Amino acid sequence: MSQANPAVISPSQKQVPVREDGVLLKLWQNPKSRYSMIILLIVIAVGIMGPWFAPHDPTKPYYESLLAEPSAEHLLGTDSIGRDVFSRLLHGTRVTLMVAVMAVSITFITGTFIGVTSAFIGGVVDTILMRIMDILLAIPNIIMAMAIVAILGPSLTNAMIAVGIAGIPKYARLTRGSTLAVKSSGYVEASRAVGTSNARILLFQIMPNIMSTLLVYTTLQIGIAILDTAALSFIGLGAQPPTPEWGTMLSEGKEYISDAWWLATFPGISISIVVFSVNILGDALRDILDPKSN
Amino acid sequence: MKQYILQRLASGLIVLLGISIFSFALIHLIPGDPIRIMLGENATAEQVHALREQLGLNQPLVTQYFQYLANVLQGDLGTSFKTGRPVLSEILERFPATVKLAASGMFLAICIGITMGVLAARFKDTFIDFSAMSIATLGVSVPSFWLGILLIMLFTVKLGWLPIAGGTGFRDLILPAVTLGVLASTVISRLTRAGMVEVLSFDYIRTARAKGLGEGAVLFIHAFRNAMIPVVTIIGLQIASLLGGTVIIERVFDWPGLGSLAISSIASRDFPLVQGIILFIGVIFVLVNMLVDIVYSLIDPRIEVGQTKEGTS
Repeated sequence: MSQANPAVISPSQKQVPVREDGVLLKLWQNPKSRYSMIILLIVIAVGIMGPWFAPHDPTKPYYESLLAEPSAEHLLGTDSIGRDVFSRLLHGTRVTLMVAVMAVSITFITGTFIGVTSAFIGGVVDTILMRIMDILLAIPNIIMAMAIVAILGPSLTNAMIAVGIAGIPKYARLTRGSTLAVKSSGYVEASRAVGTSNARILLFQIMPNIMSTLLVYTTLQIGIAILDTAALSFIGLGAQPPTPEWGTMLSEGKEYISDAWWLATFPGISISIVVFSVNILGDALRDILDPKSN
Repeated sequence: MKQYILQRLASGLIVLLGISIFSFALIHLIPGDPIRIMLGENATAEQVHALREQLGLNQPLVTQYFQYLANVLQGDLGTSFKTGRPVLSEILERFPATVKLAASGMFLAICIGITMGVLAARFKDTFIDFSAMSIATLGVSVPSFWLGILLIMLFTVKLGWLPIAGGTGFRDLILPAVTLGVLASTVISRLTRAGMVEVLSFDYIRTARAKGLGEGAVLFIHAFRNAMIPVVTIIGLQIASLLGGTVIIERVFDWPGLGSLAISSIASRDFPLVQGIILFIGVIFVLVNMLVDIVYSLIDPRIEVGQTKEGTS
């Protein structure tokens, strides 16, 4: 704010935001984030192409081999009604990716909108919106998601929507915080002084500058969304059988815990690997883009 | 100080009112007719009408809300649609089990988290630090329910040391509490490490070491107490979120707490019970947070209104 006389700073001299184009390179140079990126690329490839390579139909029961141990025919064994676990796992990857995209998009779009609006308009709007967010924050995430599923009815789509909505309050608070910080910075005041319109300030100054924080948080939110949706499916409020979803598979595996270790092992490993990689990537992104917040 | 506490109480009250509106609105947000959903396809028009009357859904919305609020304030959360029993007694019957589980989980989380955090900070950038922090990252990536299943596989199925899920005794408590504790410890260990690393770099620590104090005294008398302030806050916040975390864990271990009740009530579309549980958990959450903030302001008088949670986010 104290940067010289605002009137003499032309818009082109405004503070340069963190350069986003070097980020990928930096992520690649850090071994931890490099491995997690490679893993995630493989996961995405499996999500897209996995179903083509699946050796069996994920919902087709093989009654002659119920609860069969892992073998050449069924790489990761079969479940209680003889479905091939490996094929189900491959199909489940796609479901997980869908969750990541859908739930997080809901959180990101709505949360950013509420946060930026709140900070930018301020006053009564800000107070009201943030009070509502406080109220929603008072209910634990998973309980909130469960309440929304209770309203919409249990299904995979509704679980994704619920997890997406449940993430909004925290996200909106965060966006509001970053927007406020940018809004009060010298260059925004300067361009306001030279008569830049609100829309321009919002699009070309505030959004680019809060993006790095949002990117970090969005990445971390992907992990949370995958875990919460799997949890909802696990307790029977998300994906319904016979959908090959990892959380549902774990819930089915729990029933045969003493007879078939493979049922509850592989879906759990899959979830953990994906979420772990996402979290490592998120941490690395934070170190690069937003070192203060760590 | 007094003013801070009053302000904190006032803002808590607003949030509580908001939660009551949210839980009230729940039943009205259901797409379609909640009565039809609760009664099923084959209900007769009389049944629908009777239940609508009983739940007061034929009155104007505002009247309904104030009626609801008045009932809630008198401890009447309605009647479970499935069992016909008062919602509050259903909840209170299950609540002690959840508190028992959450409290044991929290205790373990504090022990594990602080030990790992202090060790990681003391041996910063060594293998110990690396492993402790990897475990912490792993802890937030592994689904709680899967960790629970793995523990059952190992200690119940393979080794046979602990009973199969279903009871509520001490031996039944061990595995769910460990699952909860391990997962909740990750945040604590990260924060403890961060706080300790910072404090250990201060001059007075160097002075303490220079005057020949033992490493234990430096760590626990000089450094630890100063590093603990943010940790105490997060522990307070964790108490409340642990109540959420128990929901899933309860399902894994068939622990008869509030979480199991919530899940079954949603599955059976018992809306009065769902409403009651959401309201109850929200109220507990707000009360715990309020208490933590007030206790915190007593421990550290520098803190002021509006600085508490925004400061950590």
